[in-house]
Amino acid sequence: MKVLATYNIKGGVGKTATAVNLAYLAAAEGARTLVWDLDPQGAASFYFRVKPRVKGGSEALITGRRALDRAIKGTDYDNLDLIPADFSYRNMDLELGGAKKRTRRIDLLLRPMAKHYDYVILDCPPSISLVSENVFQAVNALIVPLIPTTLSIRTFDQLQAFLADNPGRKTRKVLAFFSMVDMRKNLHRELMSEMALPSRDVLDVRIPATSDIERMGVNRAPLPAFAPKSRSASAYQSLWTEIKSRL
Amino acid sequence: MNPLRRFAFEDGSDLAVLVAGLEQRAPFEREPNRTIDRTVYDTFDWRLFEARTVLEHERVTAISGTRKSTARTVPWLIWRSIDTGEVLGRLAMEQVGQFVWDLPNEPIVERLAPILEMRALQSLVTIRIEQVSLRLLGDEGKTEARVVIDRAWLPGADDPLAPVVEVIPVRGYADSAERLAELLAAQVVLRPVDHDVVEIALASVGFNPGGYRSKLDVSLDQAGTARDAIIEVLEALFAAMMANEPGTRADIDTEFLHDYRVAVRRTRSVLGMASGVVPERLLEHLRSEFKWLGDITTPTRDLDVYLLTYPEFEASLTESMRADLRSLRSFLVTHQHRAHLELVEGLDSARYVELMHRYQHWLAHPKREPGASDPRRVPRFNEPAVTFASTCVWKAYRRLIKAGRRITVESPPESLHDLRKDAKKLRYALECFGSLFVAGEITPLIKALKGVQDVLGEFQDCEVQKGSLRGFGESMVTENGVASVPAVLAMGQLIDQIDEREHAARQQFAAHFESFDAKETRMHFRTLFAPASDGVLRQTDDGDVQHDPNSDALIDQPEMTESE
Repeated sequence: MKVLATYNIKGGVGKTATAVNLAYLAAAEGARTLVWDLDPQGAASFYFRVKPRVKGGSEALITGRRALDRAIKGTDYDNLDLIPADFSYRNMDLELGGAKKRTRRIDLLLRPMAKHYDYVILDCPPSISLVSENVFQAVNALIVPLIPTTLSIRTFDQLQAFLADNPGRKTRKVLAFFSMVDMRKNLHRELMSEMALPSRDVLDVRIPATSDIERMGVNRAPLPAFAPKSRSASAYQSLWTEIKSRL
Repeated sequence: MNPLRRFAFEDGSDLAVLVAGLEQRAPFEREPNRTIDRTVYDTFDWRLFEARTVLEHERVTAISGTRKSTARTVPWLIWRSIDTGEVLGRLAMEQVGQFVWDLPNEPIVERLAPILEMRALQSLVTIRIEQVSLRLLGDEGKTEARVVIDRAWLPGADDPLAPVVEVIPVRGYADSAERLAELLAAQVVLRPVDHDVVEIALASVGFNPGGYRSKLDVSLDQAGTARDAIIEVLEALFAAMMANEPGTRADIDTEFLHDYRVAVRRTRSVLGMASGVVPERLLEHLRSEFKWLGDITTPTRDLDVYLLTYPEFEASLTESMRADLRSLRSFLVTHQHRAHLELVEGLDSARYVELMHRYQHWLAHPKREPGASDPRRVPRFNEPAVTFASTCVWKAYRRLIKAGRRITVESPPESLHDLRKDAKKLRYALECFGSLFVAGEITPLIKALKGVQDVLGEFQDCEVQKGSLRGFGESMVTENGVASVPAVLAMGQLIDQIDEREHAARQQFAAHFESFDAKETRMHFRTLFAPASDGVLRQTDDGDVQHDPNSDALIDQPEMTESE
């Protein structure tokens, strides 16, 4: 089982769209895939039309009072399951703070899933918190969407610095890619070429800013499910292929 | 996951009426109707079925219906749970590879690999299905359960089977699936059934899922005679040979020949025990003919084993040596091919045909054999099967214990090889006649024996592999000259590694044998199989054994006459 997380300190960079589309593509290839919507806003749950509610909330899951697998919901797609968000996840930091092995709790909760899933994709809330520290411990790779703006790149450098100080899982990879790219903007082009330095390992694939991706919220479905031939869907496919080759 | 709920249509009912009725009662969304060619795959020994799964290749040949379709018409290989209908994995693929190593490197294949191992996938039957499916929607338009209605045509049939309706649950929405099942159960045109169309289709082309197992499966009559037991075991083994002969001839995968050979070896072992039960003249003939049969299958099997082990050989070498080893692989492939051709010649020979004819006739009419019921020639034919079987096991057991205790670190490899044969004989006696004894008594003995067999097997494999690799090396140099030198050097490295493994097995033997030769196991064998004259154990209430002068003195007793 490989655990991936879409993560960025900054919000609004396309994390959830990435998590949902990658999960769909993994499942469509036949891999048993689980998405855990860790963001109390519940955007991934919304895309899958699953109510953002977990019995007992964050406390029950983190303490183990409710087994994680009992919170799993099947999505409309074969091999693709979801642990929905819950509004109580906003307090997850507190629950984790009170737990034993506070930074490894999510990792420990996910371990038994290895028998049932090939991929787990965590859709993380923005910011650096105890939740994200747990995520850093649990994952094989962090998938970091970057908008080619100065601020976004600055937060990426902050993340790299944080990870360098907090080593976590040894085999963990950080796979950044450019998201919401508008090639008509000079700034985007300039920043992307600037970023193409060996010290900042950025994937080749770029996800364009398109209205198709925005339509995911209207259709409440992964993009490749309703627009499989679109340019953005094929960009996500390339992203998934590239990520797999790097795992 | 909930178990799958399945219903069949009563004859003459109207599918459209049912669907319309359902749509009025609950919020459903119709999927486009699909016409599917579904081909079912499994291995010859039903490994997927035994794991309660089914592997199907689905090619959608037509899509129609109420909704604009976005479905792609790529064919899928779909792996499903038989009991819950849950999809365990899918792969988009045009043609199904024959072996697991022909399939793409995806997680589903990693999960299939330990089930399929080296066995070939065989396409069993293709059915055409017209599929209507409905999704039961929850508040947010979320699918909470599915109804799938399959109308299936068997190969060559003009009319479809009665449609089968299945409720496919969605995880986390058990209530919705239950509600849906209740709704269907209330329809007068439906009745609950267990079998799905795939099972019906398999039966229609003569397949019986789970019908072949490589494990010997006989249930002997405890009230029968020694001859009854022997004939029944030999019949089962003959059936196993016949079941595997076509696959052996066609070389579909290595296990046909393997299972064929196991049946031959077990047959030889039973023939070896049959003195006094079957007329000696016939026995001598059969023993020598089955030995010949075993011998002609050996070269192919040996090469099969090297080809199966090849990936391990490769993995144990450094990157550069791996490339050097490749010419060994092509050498093995060529020689396996040749050996197999010779094997098929053997199976086509008059000698084989005569043997099978004669043998089959005897199995069908054992009493017609001259002298078959003459107590002077076959004094034990009428002996109770249980007594006969006990004697066979006891003899094999004593022989193994005696020989095993003589093994020291200095013993030559041949004596370990002989011991391995003794262990096999005991194993076969336990397996062939085990059903005559109390269920559950035999399994722990086989388990105890397996430890010894494994370590002896490892030792013998190493011994044989070293010799073979040297032989292959010489042949390769003769056939290809200096071009084979790098491979021969890599093989030298392999031989060193095998030498280490052999040494380790040798070291482990004593411990394994000692644990098999433990007092508890000895008592177990003695209680079950020792003849009354050999001293009967008496146990006190607390399970302790009282006065048993022989229990630790097995090897001091006179050896019984061996039949071979």
